[in-house]
Amino acid sequence: MAGGLSDDRVLLERIRGGDASGAEELFERYAPALLRFASRMLSDRDTAEEVTQEVFVKVISRAHQYDGRAAVSSWLFAIAANACRDRRRRDHRANVVPLEAVAELPSRGEGAEARLDGRQRRAAVRRALQGLSEEQREALVLARYHGLPYAEIARILGISVGAVKTRIFRAVETLKARFSEGEALWNVVN
Amino acid sequence: MECRELTDRAINRLLEEAAAAELEDFDRHLAGCERCVRELAVIEETWDALGADRDAAVTPEFRARTLALLHDEVDRRRMREFRPRARAARILARAAALFVAAVAGFAVARGGLPAIRSAGTSSPVAGPAKSAPDLAGNPRLSNVAYRTDPDGRVGIEFDATTRHTVVGRPDDPEVSTLLAYLLLRNGETAGEKSRAIELVSGHYGSGAGAGVASPEIVRALAATLKGDRNPGVRKKAAEALASFRSSPEIRTALLESLANDPNPGVRLVAVEALAASAREAPDPKTIQSLREKAVDPQENGFVRARAASALKAIDL
Repeated sequence: MAGGLSDDRVLLERIRGGDASGAEELFERYAPALLRFASRMLSDRDTAEEVTQEVFVKVISRAHQYDGRAAVSSWLFAIAANACRDRRRRDHRANVVPLEAVAELPSRGEGAEARLDGRQRRAAVRRALQGLSEEQREALVLARYHGLPYAEIARILGISVGAVKTRIFRAVETLKARFSEGEALWNVVN
Repeated sequence: MECRELTDRAINRLLEEAAAAELEDFDRHLAGCERCVRELAVIEETWDALGADRDAAVTPEFRARTLALLHDEVDRRRMREFRPRARAARILARAAALFVAAVAGFAVARGGLPAIRSAGTSSPVAGPAKSAPDLAGNPRLSNVAYRTDPDGRVGIEFDATTRHTVVGRPDDPEVSTLLAYLLLRNGETAGEKSRAIELVSGHYGSGAGAGVASPEIVRALAATLKGDRNPGVRKKAAEALASFRSSPEIRTALLESLANDPNPGVRLVAVEALAASAREAPDPKTIQSLREKAVDPQENGFVRARAASALKAIDL
């Protein structure tokens, strides 16, 4: 994670004391990871940004509720996971804007053909991820894209380590089956 | 290790969660099981394939917008904390009442009431009625402070806020002006603005494009669509305009949004609204704009496709 444990707690103390620069620093540390998480859970750039904003606003209003039992990063991811679930339930339009509308940074040195191929691959992977259940996707995204250990994922999602393993196992099995349907992995694109 | 444990073990290894003994056991099994070697290759290929999904990045615009929001939020909370708590205010009020009673008793005993000084000024006024609010309206008094003068007079300082309720039909000028004001000037955060737009949309938009909004509301929404820094707010403004009966002003705002808005989600709403409007009454400018979008190689693929399918549906 981006910040040291004690550093993060100091930042929360500063936020509690009404210091806006503490919130700013926390944003700089964790916004990239939380936005990545939200965009994979929601697949809509605008909604992911809104949810990421929501997380930081909640941190300001709930800084006094942080009990120090988990790392601040885990606490932030737990707020983000709840916010994503709430948003998906509340806003059935969360998936209206398609993947193609998700802003992406261009890669250097990619030719037109490679770009097209890359875009198709990304779209195929994102579609496959969207095909997983919310619970499986949460666990898989935290493990695969954020490199978090089982125990931390369990704390974030409020489940046992065994349940985390099961969710990741099922997610991988589903993806494996999906990717293996055709002869080659990327035949699933169209 | 048994073959049925392969996926579990493979994931543990990929996530670096496997202990040394588990890894050794795993490798031993693989050395003698060709089927598991093939299966492992598929799992690893699946795992690697997930890497093709590119990470969303924090854009400078999102960063600036969020930091401004966080500063607002911290300031708002700080201001809230400065307000005296209800219990403390009650205790202060009782203490002040006792003090006032004591001073009044003393003054009566000496033969007359002292003049009360108006809050925030140094000029004495004839009585409390001139500077005190009308208590019959039950105003909320906050930030109460008390002070005393050496000559025995007291000052009571406070902010008084009164809640207003304006009731009327959406097309009443007063209501319409108030809604436009809420949209343009009073919505400080994206959430407040969105609520104002939803209110406006709920009142004027019928959902079937038949609502007729006042010119003031249309102007406020067009200005929001053009100038708000939050794409979510702009998108809501576009959706609200799309829910009204089409007019030249609405078309102009949507055409401008389609041409210039940096966010594809907002442009998508503009395309759909313009397409719906053109189906009812084909407008040369709208059709030209949709044609340009349908073949624009720089445009987002989905917006391009929607523009093309919209053109097909228009009876040209």
